[in-house]
Amino acid sequence: MYNGLSLDQAPPISVVLRFFFTVPVFGILLALIVFFYPHDVLTPTHPISLAAIHVMFLGIITMSMFGALFQMQSVLGGRPIPSVLGNAFLIHLFLVIGVLSLSGAFVLGTPELFIIASVFLGGSILYVATLILPLLFVGTPHDTLRGMRLALIALSLTAILGIVMASEYANLSFSAFHAVIRSVHYSLGLVGWIAILIIAVAFQVVEMFYVSTPYSPWCKRNAFKVIAVSLFLKIIWLFTTLPYVWVFDLVIGALLIGFVTTTAKRLKMRKRRVSDVSIWFWSSGIILLSLAVVAHMVSLSNGYPQSQSISLIAFGLFALAVILGMMGKIVPFLVWFHLNSAGYMDTPLMSNIIPQSRAKGVFTLFILTSFTSIVGVFYIEFFALSALIGAAMFTLLLINLIKAYKLYRYTLSHGKRFEQI
Amino acid sequence: MILLDTRELDHPVPLEMAVAAFKKLTGDEVIHMIHRREPIPLFEIITKNGGRYLSVMEGENLWHIYITRSSTLELEHTHV
Repeated sequence: MYNGLSLDQAPPISVVLRFFFTVPVFGILLALIVFFYPHDVLTPTHPISLAAIHVMFLGIITMSMFGALFQMQSVLGGRPIPSVLGNAFLIHLFLVIGVLSLSGAFVLGTPELFIIASVFLGGSILYVATLILPLLFVGTPHDTLRGMRLALIALSLTAILGIVMASEYANLSFSAFHAVIRSVHYSLGLVGWIAILIIAVAFQVVEMFYVSTPYSPWCKRNAFKVIAVSLFLKIIWLFTTLPYVWVFDLVIGALLIGFVTTTAKRLKMRKRRVSDVSIWFWSSGIILLSLAVVAHMVSLSNGYPQSQSISLIAFGLFALAVILGMMGKIVPFLVWFHLNSAGYMDTPLMSNIIPQSRAKGVFTLFILTSFTSIVGVFYIEFFALSALIGAAMFTLLLINLIKAYKLYRYTLSHGKRFEQI
Repeated sequence: MILLDTRELDHPVPLEMAVAAFKKLTGDEVIHMIHRREPIPLFEIITKNGGRYLSVMEGENLWHIYITRSSTLELEHTHV
């Protein structure tokens, strides 16, 4: 009856929500940076730009992915995370302090802040890896778990390289390998951590949520191998300064386009064509990832700095699209699940926990943010405007999360339980 | 026997349907849910609220789940 799975393994709702609640706060912080310093944010390697990039990819994207990992590991991994409340508290706290100190370090150029950031960010990321990775190696392996393993390994390496670079910034002494380390840091972080984790999640949720045909076994079996081998060879090529390193970017780009195409096909072929905001987010993510890959290829061929900016912005927005779409599914599910699990008879329907109108509001603002930020690469006024729209989007997201949590608390204190009927 | 064939329904409708039916179960009534996946979260809700279940995988993307509140009824899988 139990099929080898522990049935009391879902983490308390606060474990996941603490990460999700922090996402819009960092989103508003990012919007403020972009609004007040749009030129600097668009200048590659400018300290303000580096601060903005780390707020985006650590404060928003990694923050939400950690929250989702706590939930997914418990459900998919078959083994609960030990002392989950205390561990989530520390990891979240370390990540918040780490992101704030790293952004502050870039903006203020204070060496001590780089050291603090290294300790807390490295601590948070390596803590997650040592906590969750061993659990992903027990039980029946499947493609999503394999992807999660690889993503966590890539994130750990990204963090180690980040610590190396932070110590260089702290000492204002840069090794001959600084540029190479930075390239590897970006490749591992963007492709190894973010893209792999999203592909792994897509393998699980696209066919499950939307009743679509499954991804092909070849695709599931080989996608992570191709990315892992390409990243590994790219790192060797970079450190040994061998020529034609762009070939590995081409291979990874081709695989990402393959993923985009096959996902789009699955979303199109779904059996019940019910309108759902999360599908709109996935579709937008698909377009944005395609744009990111194409812009990266253009920048490889002509070194045009605007192509690089578009590629990075589109990639960040792709990840954000998937995150916002999945958050709109996960948060109502968690509220509904924990209330039902606790035996509440009058648990609200999931569709009423975050109403469609407010979910559509977040989506509309996301589309406007995406459009203005990409056009903003060429017309700076649009980039500043994207910050205002982005701030509105993150504020609405925060309202949605707060209202969902208040509904949960209200039902906990006022709802009827099974035994009271 | 209450039959819930949720194979063609998008998530989270199958879970909501099964839990709604479970809340109304009485005596020796049994829900027979047919689903394309094993709904693990549903099992936690059932077991925490005095129910029992039997989950049988009949083929790829074909699961039969039997749910009851009875503590004595023997749950068994019958081919449909």
